Formats: sequence, structure tokens, C-alpha cells
Amino acid sequence: MTEPLLKIENLRIELALRSGQAPVIDDLSLELNAGETLSFVGESGCGKSMTALAIMGLLPEKVGSIAQGRILFQGNDMAQMNSSQLRAIRGNEISMIFQEPMTSLNPVYTVGEQIAEVLRRHKGMNKRDAWKRAIELLDAVRIPNAKARISDYPHQMSGGQRQRVMIAIALACSPKILIADEPTTALDVTVQAQIFDLLRDLGRETGTAIILITHDMGAVAEMADRMVVMYAGRKAEYGPVAPVISHPRHPYTKGLISCVPHLLAELTEERPDLTEVPGIVPSLDSFGVDACLFASRCYLADDKCRSKRPPEIVFGDQSSACWKADQI
Amino acid sequence: MTALLNVQNLSVRFPIKRRWGQTSWLYAVDDVSFEVQRGETLAIVGESGSGKTTAALGVARLVANSGGTVGLGGSDFLALEGEALRKARAKVQVIFQDPYSSLNPRLRAEAIVREPMDSLGTLPVAERPARVAELFKQVGLRPEQMKLFPHQFSGGQRQRIGIARALATNPELIICDEAVSALDVAVQAQILNLLRRLQRELGLTYLFISHDLGVVQHMSDHIAVMYMGKIVEHADRLSLFNDPRHPYTKALLSAVPSVDQKRKVERMLIPGDPPDPLNPPAGCRFASRCPLVEDACRAAQPPLDAVAADHKVACIKA
Repeated sequence: MTEPLLKIENLRIELALRSGQAPVIDDLSLELNAGETLSFVGESGCGKSMTALAIMGLLPEKVGSIAQGRILFQGNDMAQMNSSQLRAIRGNEISMIFQEPMTSLNPVYTVGEQIAEVLRRHKGMNKRDAWKRAIELLDAVRIPNAKARISDYPHQMSGGQRQRVMIAIALACSPKILIADEPTTALDVTVQAQIFDLLRDLGRETGTAIILITHDMGAVAEMADRMVVMYAGRKAEYGPVAPVISHPRHPYTKGLISCVPHLLAELTEERPDLTEVPGIVPSLDSFGVDACLFASRCYLADDKCRSKRPPEIVFGDQSSACWKADQI
Repeated sequence: MTALLNVQNLSVRFPIKRRWGQTSWLYAVDDVSFEVQRGETLAIVGESGSGKTTAALGVARLVANSGGTVGLGGSDFLALEGEALRKARAKVQVIFQDPYSSLNPRLRAEAIVREPMDSLGTLPVAERPARVAELFKQVGLRPEQMKLFPHQFSGGQRQRIGIARALATNPELIICDEAVSALDVAVQAQILNLLRRLQRELGLTYLFISHDLGVVQHMSDHIAVMYMGKIVEHADRLSLFNDPRHPYTKALLSAVPSVDQKRKVERMLIPGDPPDPLNPPAGCRFASRCPLVEDACRAAQPPLDAVAADHKVACIKA
């Protein structure tokens, strides 16, 4: 097997709190291969975005830091790089789009200038070439009449168009990895469908690997090849999408799937209550403890779950950090 | 069955100031009619800007410049004044989307829940504390939490306070405006189950505003789909989800990703964005994005006609 594009080994990220250090990411390992889509799923506060920021080298300074582990991008450890080395990768080899297309563009520059900036900075293009390439990119993300729209300011575009501009910026340097952090949460479903189609096509054409961060299992089922379910900074379940969704091995994954009313192939009169996952994600203070952090919300939990952190149990391609994984 | 809510020709318009003191009007809701039966849930779905929230606020009389009639238990809610209006307001309550900004941060939870009773005077003062305690129990909050402030609650708990407040005056109609959109999925399930349990126990009627079709499919008995201020399709739950007729409804349903492997619908992409609401097209408002469009669609607005029992569509191609 070839070396994966990105390999995270035993990553631990600590956040400075008033009461001490809390591990917001605790012993996370995963791999991303070229051309595949990997999805991070979980509720807010489970460390999905924090992992993405760590990969980008964008952890909040003085507050968050990598305490342990390695982030290997094409064999080089990004955790050890200095800021200028990171800057050469960021936006060039690894780029990111954010949830809020309204606030992630600069309102006082035209979208063309913002796309061209990346090309001039990373590719050393001159002004005219960068502008020409920016028009091509805007066309590639399917904004009609790209030649005229390139001189628009962000406020002249709709939310969906702004997210397309963000994608054009992110893809300007043909990155090897695109991190999409809830890229469609602020958008309508029909626009979401357009953006997903766009990402899928672009991924296929350019071979860019995509990390899709979302809380929507439907989106995962539709977009991703493999998924990581995160809970309270730890990996709960990991594996290819189809088997994980049809047979989850972690009660949290199971809860996440069944608590949402999904659109069904054939709807019937029957409407049972939704499965509830009681309670909420624990607070940061309890993140480091040697126990299963999901135990307080789990219907299977016993004393062992509350006193010892479960190891990763492997089922073929799938793995689950649960003492009861074989009972689910 | 009797209709609790009978909305006829509801329009809500907003003034847009132009140069030279001119005003043009944006019709956020344009000539919309629907009924909700007692004890049932009508969902209004649509994308942002479709007018679904404005329609609900129009029904609740929380926006100005509305026209038409809102029949509520026999009288026109929009025509009421003074004391009669105050009495009627107790019958219509709203649960808002954002549990963070819709609770007064300076009031204790018990005061928030009590406030509608104080301002609408629905219960003698002496009985109000007991009613607050009862409401807390009903929505699954503990009595000792009554003294806390909103910031001491989680998002789901805050939404429970919002629900308790809406229930305080024994309303008949509750408008849920994106009541679970701001919540995490696990918490969303808790709130949806709570809303359904309360409906069963108290015989509530819901006007359920949402953009999430999965949630709507789970919660509602009837569904109205809105596009640019108009209802384009109105049907009972099974008809709408198993047999959508309007191209916009079809596109909307096909756009929702689902974990159901059997649900392999042909993705129907609709290009572009909705037209400028200040200058709506003369014909069908969906014509500019519709895959089935023909000349007749652009000429006149299609009426909302019945295609089957309990199923109305505004499309000449349906």
C-alpha cells in the first residue's frame, strides 16, 4: 500500500483553561488517502473543527497547542514546522473553506482580487495572469458570467455564490487536501445540493482529498468514503461510511443516526418517537479522565465504562472505542 | 373536524425606501390561504426568503402591514382591538428559533415563564407560582432550576423554557418558528419528542415553520411548500412526501441527503437563485429555474388547484 497523504498519529491537543490544561483532542489517529473524502461527524464541542485547525496549523496561539503526536503530511511532521514552513503549505497544498461564507470573505476587495491574491502569493503569478486564472476558477465553480462577476464585491453575491467564491479561492492552487468545515450549514438545501455536486466533481477532476466536517449524517452518507465519529475529543468510531451507517459499533454513532428524522424511501402512517440520546456533551473539565466519556448518556454503560477508557476495538475496516462494541 | 385556524388571502408587505421619497413594496407573503385543523400540525416549508416565517408572524400579528383575514376560533384575529385582542393573544403563542436571544438574560427562568400570565392576565396572581411549577414539570425541567438565569442553562434546556413560556397562557395555537434549528441533533430529538408529547396531552395545534424536510416529515400532518411568498403545493403528509407534484417540491425533496440507502431519488438540480423579490415575474415565480417551463408558465400565475383529495398544486404542468 502506498503511504497515505495525511497521517495523524496519537494527536493530543491541549487547551489552556483557568483550571489547567484540558485535552480537547485526546489520542487521535487517522489516515487520509489521496482522492478520498473523509468525514468528521459529531455534536458541537467534540473537537471536529479543532482537528481541522490543527491540520491547518491554525490553533489559537497561547491557548491551544499540540502536546503530543504527529501530523504527517506527505511524510513531513507538520507539528514540528515553523510558521513560514506552514505558510507555504497553508492555502497552497492544504486549504480550507469555512461555515460562514458571509464573514470569511473580505468585504472591501472584489472577489477577483481575493482569488488572485492566493495565486500571486503562492504561485508567484503576475497580476494579469492571476486575474485570468481567477476568471477560469470562478467559471469552474459554476458562477454564470464569470468575466463580469469577477469584479463584484462579496455583498453583491448570494450566500451560495459566496461559498463558491470561497471554494474557488481554496482550489486556486490545486491543493492536495481541502478541508470543508460545515460548508453548507448556513445554506439552503437546494444550494447545499449544488455545492456538494460541485465539491464531488472537483474532487474527481483534480484528485483533491476532502475532509468534510459536518453534523449531518445524510451529508456523510452522500459525500464521504470513510468517516470518523468524534465524541468529547476522542475517536468513537472510524471506518467506511456504508458499514458504519448500516451497522454502527458505537452507541454514540447509533444515537446520532437514529435521533434524526431522515427522509425515507417510502413514507408510512407510522411515526414512532425519535430515539433520544439523553443529556449533552460533557464539559471540558472532564475531558481527560480515564473512563468512557459517553458513559453518562449511554444505555449500555456499566461500572467498567465509568472507570476505564475503552481501547479501540477493530472489526475489519471498522473500529469502535467501546467496551460493549461486540454487543451492538 | 373543525378548522381552528382559517387564513384567507394573507399578505404581508414591507416598505422599501427608494430615492426621492418613493416607496416600493416587497410582498414577503402574497395572497396566501390555508387552514389548520384543531389538534393537527401544519408545516410551512421553504428556503430562506420564501416568506414562511413572515407568514407565521403575520398569523400571530407580530408584523405590521398585513392584509387578509386570520380566522381563529370564529373571529378575525387581524381585526381585533384592545381588550379583545389581548384576550385572543393568549390563544396564540410562539416558540422562537434562537434559544439564546429569545430569553431575557436578566430575568430568572421562573419570571420568564410567568411573564405571559402577568402581561395577559390569564390567571389570578395567587395561582401563578403553582402554574409555573407545573409548567416546569411538563417540559422536563427540575423545580430547583426555576431560580436560575438563562445563561446557566444549555441550549436544549433554554428551548424548554421557551416552550414552557409559550404554554403558560393555555394557548390553542402554537407557532414553532424553526424551533429546533439551532440545536444539536441529539438535543433536537429530545425537543421534537417533547413537542409531540405535549400535542397529544394538551390537544395543541401547531403551525410548524421549518426548512428541514426530515423534521417536517416527522412532525406534521399537512405541509404547505412556499416559494417567493406563494404557496406552491399543499398536501397531507403522505401525499407530499410520496407523491410530490410541483417541480419545486420535487427539487427540494431530491436535494436532501439521506442515510436511507433505498432512497435513491434522481437528483433534480435547480440552477441559479430565486428572482428579485422586488420585481417578481408576472407568471409562475418558479419559471426561471423550472426544468419543465413553457411559454404559458410565464404568462400568468398558476392558481393553487386541487389535483387529488387533500392535495393542491400551483403548477399548470402538475
